[in-house]
Amino acid sequence: MSPDERERLASEYVLGLLDADEERLCEELLPVDARLAALVEEWRERVAELDATAPLVAPDPGLWRRIEVSLEGQASPEGARSGTLEPLGGIASPRRTAGRGWAKVWWENLALWRGLGLTACAASLLLAVGLSHVSRQAAQAPVLVAVLLSDQNQPAAVVNAFRDGRTELLALSALSAPEGKSLQVWTLWDRVRGPVSVGLLDTLRTVELKVEGLPLPAAEQLYEITLEPAGGSPTGRPTGPILMKGNASPTGTGI
Amino acid sequence: MPSLTRIAHGPLDDELNEAIYGCARGERASLHRLYEHLAPKMTGVALRMLRRRDLAEEVVHDTFLRIWEKAGSFDAARGKASAWVFTILRRTALNVLRGERRIELVEDYDAIEPISEETDAESLLVALSETSALRRCLDRLEPMRRRAILLAYLRGLTHGELAGRLGVPLGTAKAWIRRSLRTLKDCLA
Repeated sequence: MSPDERERLASEYVLGLLDADEERLCEELLPVDARLAALVEEWRERVAELDATAPLVAPDPGLWRRIEVSLEGQASPEGARSGTLEPLGGIASPRRTAGRGWAKVWWENLALWRGLGLTACAASLLLAVGLSHVSRQAAQAPVLVAVLLSDQNQPAAVVNAFRDGRTELLALSALSAPEGKSLQVWTLWDRVRGPVSVGLLDTLRTVELKVEGLPLPAAEQLYEITLEPAGGSPTGRPTGPILMKGNASPTGTGI
Repeated sequence: MPSLTRIAHGPLDDELNEAIYGCARGERASLHRLYEHLAPKMTGVALRMLRRRDLAEEVVHDTFLRIWEKAGSFDAARGKASAWVFTILRRTALNVLRGERRIELVEDYDAIEPISEETDAESLLVALSETSALRRCLDRLEPMRRRAILLAYLRGLTHGELAGRLGVPLGTAKAWIRRSLRTLKDCLA
């Protein structure tokens, strides 16, 4: 994201101007984009005075009781049971993030997608190119194909897995990681093992994925691309928004 | 008019921090302390955004539940307790504005003369302290653009709604907002 774009997103988020898609994008980026978070904080301070101008309005005397009743129906606050207090969102935020989970972030993120400049038109055009590429390879047809779809259900890339395990990514869309970010390709075949990184790119392009040492791909195996800090996820697991994903299906060639 | 900024700069600031930390430890009394200090101002802000008493109180209600849930993520080093609370309040109110009850609210809007919004925006400006840098900088904006910024904040209007309200094309409204916010930032720097 360019500095101007980040500034715009932060200011309009604080003012409450963003539409639902951009607002969601901003909220997903906030925990991972420290610069954005700092700008949002700055804007909050800038306009906080406006809230101070609101008149004092005594709420209904029964309101506190209603809040108490609602709290009865809730568990104790997150972190209260542990008895420790971690600043910097140590307790509540990670749990919330974990709840959303990498797999749940799925297609929530329309605007990011648009922001990165993918257009459905380009995707369709490139799909045609991609498919012709696939057909040229008929002699060594893949045994599994996964079409990675964007959140708008547009084909954005294809993963072809061959009988010998060789796996390639075909780009169907023009997509570049913003400054300071990388695109990271993951595959998941075993929930216990978790997602494994098989590629790192700055720009979506056709590449051979790094699958050495991994089991042969199987039907339903998941492939996805997430937006990560430059150089790849620091944790070895996806941390950023999922840009596209898809499950492998067997082709007519058979595994 | 008692102002939040005055509260926030006083010794109450520490007390509010402590109250949120108390909530994180599961102390109901701490939440009640926050309520006593902030609920009237919160109700005022929510009412200004939603313009319906019942919805405003519902937003305050939901905000306190969220404060209780999220207290563990508050960090006084990153920002003021009051700012943290009002951020949650505004977010909750915006969700209501953007949510299913939108239709009822839109009917309310129609009943209100555009002039009243203009008056609202201008009176908001006047309500800011004479010495406020924000006021000085907002004053420098062209009236229509100032109104766009203030209405956006005050009413939680989106770009599209602002464009409709100001009678300009969407692209124009977006460009105004973008440029005005940049000007505001430079002026406040």
